[in-house]
Amino acid sequence: MVRRLVKAVTPGIVAFLTYVVFSGSIRPYDVVTGIIVSVIAGIITAELLVMSPTKALNPIRLFWLIVYGLYYLIIAESRAHFDVAKRIINPKMPIKPGIVRVPFSVKTDYAITSIANSITNTPGTVVVDLNTEKQVYYVHWIDVKAPDPRTTFEHISKMFERFIKKVFE
Amino acid sequence: MRKFLTATAVIVIAVLSSVAVTVGGALGPLFNGVRSLAEFYLLNVFNAHNRTLTAMSPEAVTSIVWDYRGLDTLFETVVFYMAIIGCVALHRGIELTKRGSEVGLSRIVKTVTKILIPLNIVVAASIALHGHLTPGGGFQAGAAMAVAPIIIIVVFSRFFLMKRGVTKEVALSLRSMGLLGIALVALIPLVAWVTTGSVAYVMQNQVKTNSSFSFPAYIGGSLVSGSLIWYNIFEFLAVTFGFTIVFLLLSVDEETVRKVLGGDKHE
Repeated sequence: MVRRLVKAVTPGIVAFLTYVVFSGSIRPYDVVTGIIVSVIAGIITAELLVMSPTKALNPIRLFWLIVYGLYYLIIAESRAHFDVAKRIINPKMPIKPGIVRVPFSVKTDYAITSIANSITNTPGTVVVDLNTEKQVYYVHWIDVKAPDPRTTFEHISKMFERFIKKVFE
Repeated sequence: MRKFLTATAVIVIAVLSSVAVTVGGALGPLFNGVRSLAEFYLLNVFNAHNRTLTAMSPEAVTSIVWDYRGLDTLFETVVFYMAIIGCVALHRGIELTKRGSEVGLSRIVKTVTKILIPLNIVVAASIALHGHLTPGGGFQAGAAMAVAPIIIIVVFSRFFLMKRGVTKEVALSLRSMGLLGIALVALIPLVAWVTTGSVAYVMQNQVKTNSSFSFPAYIGGSLVSGSLIWYNIFEFLAVTFGFTIVFLLLSVDEETVRKVLGGDKHE
């Protein structure tokens, strides 16, 4: 039970912040009801969401998450947008679409999902399926440089995986 | 040709009717200003100086729904309750097995859905707990909350939900607790009548001209609008689990249902 309460801390905090933002006010009424509701939501979802509570509360992981957020939104996204925009504007439309295998070496659900969503959210690449036993994503790529796993990993998910491992693994 | 004629006819009718409404005044003259009925509510829903007519809530819709025409809403809730009872009765004898293969969608979809569940809970709770302050209320909050079981059933499976304790029986009892709560809040004024001897009415919220009974409009300095917050909370509970029961029953496969409901073949 104590372990479950510790696990409930992270989802509870996220739930409380969502409650306050959604309610749009932070008077005593919102704080009191928010705490009650967040504690309930946190306890209900603790076992589902948190495997190891120390990992979830580790500030170093949180730091890497922020670094990754900045890298992703500023560098990775801009690079991908420019690349796709160039292909659209170019009258020859230099695309070479195809579905390729991209390997991954992470184990946890959160890491697998983060990398997959990072790939999908950048223009030009979309994860269409994954195989957790073979540890590969099937990615639709706008410009297939080469179908072998090393090239695809190098071009598509190497940087994402490097950061995500520090955050979730 | 036929298609062309139909399209022309539709366009002509659309243009003519819009001209008739906007320029020709086909709907009669527009009413500018506030009608006397609206004026009454705007003046009285939150009016500390006129305690016999106010509902002590700045949200006019919730005030009307749970105070001015509260009995109407009570019967609406009963209709919803009857609909769910009907659904449960239709599915009598069908056993909702707890075990089965949990395939569901991909790991990615499952992980994202998991993260959304606590957020869904707090957003729905916020709609319910602010029902007397901002648009929303118990029913809307219950409908928002019911999104959680339906996405879990679709993304994971019914068994995932049931293994974690959300069974038909649990949902039925929680739903009944919600309804019982609504009934109790409606009857509390009568308890006050019996104990203090002062006249009080069923579903009364604030004081009336011949009744001194009143639910507390403020608790600890925060506006709770008397009975309105309690109705919203219990309605939230009743609607959430009402929908959950229906979703659980609808997720039973057709063959299992037919085996029970089909009965014997009559030649």
